[in-house]
Amino acid sequence: MKKISLAGMKANHKGKVVEILGGVNLQNKLMHMGVHIGKEVTKLSHIGLRGPVVIKVGRTILALGHSIALKVTLEVQ
Amino acid sequence: MIKKIYLIGNPNVGKSVVFSRLTGVHVASSNYPGTTVEISKGYLQLGEAKIEVVDLPGTYSLESTSAAEEVAVSLLKDNAKGEIAVVNILDSTNLERNLLLTLQLIEDGYPVIICLNMCDEAGHKGVFLDAKKLGDILKVPVIPTCAITGSGIKLLIEKIKEVAPVSRVKLSHDERWKEIGRIIEQVQRLEHRHHTLREVLEDASVRPVAGVLIGAGVIYISFKIVRFIGEGIIAKITDPIFFNFYQPLLEKLTFHWQEKGFWFHLLIGDLINGKIDFKQSLGVLTTAPYIEFGMVLPYVVSFYLILSLLEDIGYLPRLAILLDNLLHRLGLHGYAIIPMLLGFGCNVPGILSTRVLESKRERFIAATLISIGVPCVPLQAMIFGLLGKFGGFYVAGMYLVLFSLILIIGLILNRAIKGFSPEFLLEIPPYRFPPIFMLGKKLFYRIKGFLIEAVPVVLLGVMIINILLYFKAFDLVTGIFAPIINGLFGLPDASIVALVIGFFRKDVAVGMLMPLSLSVKQLFIATTLLAISFPCIATFTVLWKELGFKGLAKATLIMISVSVIVGTLLNFVILH
Repeated sequence: MKKISLAGMKANHKGKVVEILGGVNLQNKLMHMGVHIGKEVTKLSHIGLRGPVVIKVGRTILALGHSIALKVTLEVQ
Repeated sequence: MIKKIYLIGNPNVGKSVVFSRLTGVHVASSNYPGTTVEISKGYLQLGEAKIEVVDLPGTYSLESTSAAEEVAVSLLKDNAKGEIAVVNILDSTNLERNLLLTLQLIEDGYPVIICLNMCDEAGHKGVFLDAKKLGDILKVPVIPTCAITGSGIKLLIEKIKEVAPVSRVKLSHDERWKEIGRIIEQVQRLEHRHHTLREVLEDASVRPVAGVLIGAGVIYISFKIVRFIGEGIIAKITDPIFFNFYQPLLEKLTFHWQEKGFWFHLLIGDLINGKIDFKQSLGVLTTAPYIEFGMVLPYVVSFYLILSLLEDIGYLPRLAILLDNLLHRLGLHGYAIIPMLLGFGCNVPGILSTRVLESKRERFIAATLISIGVPCVPLQAMIFGLLGKFGGFYVAGMYLVLFSLILIIGLILNRAIKGFSPEFLLEIPPYRFPPIFMLGKKLFYRIKGFLIEAVPVVLLGVMIINILLYFKAFDLVTGIFAPIINGLFGLPDASIVALVIGFFRKDVAVGMLMPLSLSVKQLFIATTLLAISFPCIATFTVLWKELGFKGLAKATLIMISVSVIVGTLLNFVILH
């Protein structure tokens, strides 16, 4: 078990959300879209070096800007 | 007694299709003040009563985190709970995320009826839901529907009458997600399905390399199709009408008009070799309708057809992801591509929709870039008509100039203006092929909007220009600007009138260039200047409203400087 940010995780890997940094508004926004603590997410791709991250959570596909992806910490096997 | 019906649901759940099904064709669309969020209202005949149906903007929860969500929630709170019915529309393929809003609605005591939409798609994807069990758990009516084919809608209408609030304990966020997990376990059964071609494409279009290739392909093909359809309509429909029917008719009517004075000049314009020439006569009944209906309208139709298709298929958010990196360097984020694309239709809705961007700084940058580097369809159509004759090279060259300007000005503005560019958080919808009737409806409203905005202005504009030309009122303006236009840009004095008219309407302005027999170089410079200099007056007004007077002044200063620099550079360096 190790902790890694969503931006740092490799594409096609899975992880469980353990922490979301940032303001309440961002946490709420993510939570409403299905990204909340304890949820498993799969990273689909990362566009460019500091580009957006595309993830799959449940049956939803979400795109997060790079600095938002840095704020989501995951636990991976 | 129900007085109003609200449709509420997450974005991309087929809400507007349900709305169309419930209300039929009697739709009135209105722009909600303060946001670009469109609120559609319509009526549903329920027994004896005619009840208003309101389509709320897509929202993920009742705790609003964006402008659109605030609108939805505040409208919902406007009414007494006993007088409304809330139709909560859910995407059956994605029940888990959708249930958050549902639980909040029920907990808050709204009389809810659930519409499990996209049931057929869920089946194809191997998602099977037990609607009855879901209804038992939530204690509200649950109706499976497929709004695209219309199945389930009749039952939905019948059950709307029976809605009533149910009591449910308010949960915390964590408890609510746990509860949703428990519900999903009971009502949802998943079957493994192999990836379909559509899913492979969905996936490929968000991967770095494949995505960029697909993106480039989509843009290239869209552009080609827009031109193909536009040219097709002109060659097969509008030109035959104008040349085989309208021209002989006009000529017959004016044959006996001997004294060609003021009124003749105003209505018909100048005769070229004794005949009416739609491109050169410049009359209210000749060139004005030809520009609008014969040159511009065909491209308006083809552009909005392709744009609406791309919107409804769900491709645009993917384009936003791919361009996020690039747009960040311009002080924007990927989602700014949406206002820009809308700006290609008409700058007015483009600039209005910059409201989807979070900060004032972003909105200023986006609005300025749209005004300078994004030519509207009427202008582009006229440029195709005029510059296209000399080969695709010049048309492509103009796009290259505009694209470079967007990049250069964006890079500079991003450095020059304090602040940072926020990040986006966007749901990427699955690809869906829109039902033809929805597509047709959208296209119809957009074309109607264009006709209402453009036709009166163009007719009136040509009339006023003709009067001013007749009384030689432009001579003063020509005298003032001649040194710049002539000396710096290498354009003849006569083109000054056209450039000034560009402030009223771009298509008419290019139309004014038609009789001047300019060289390719002059035509290139003049049309490029029309694209980057002042936007038309409608856009100007919107810029003022959106950016305030100070922002407008700044943007205008940038536009003037850029026009002078680019015009001079093109004249002396690039095309020399």
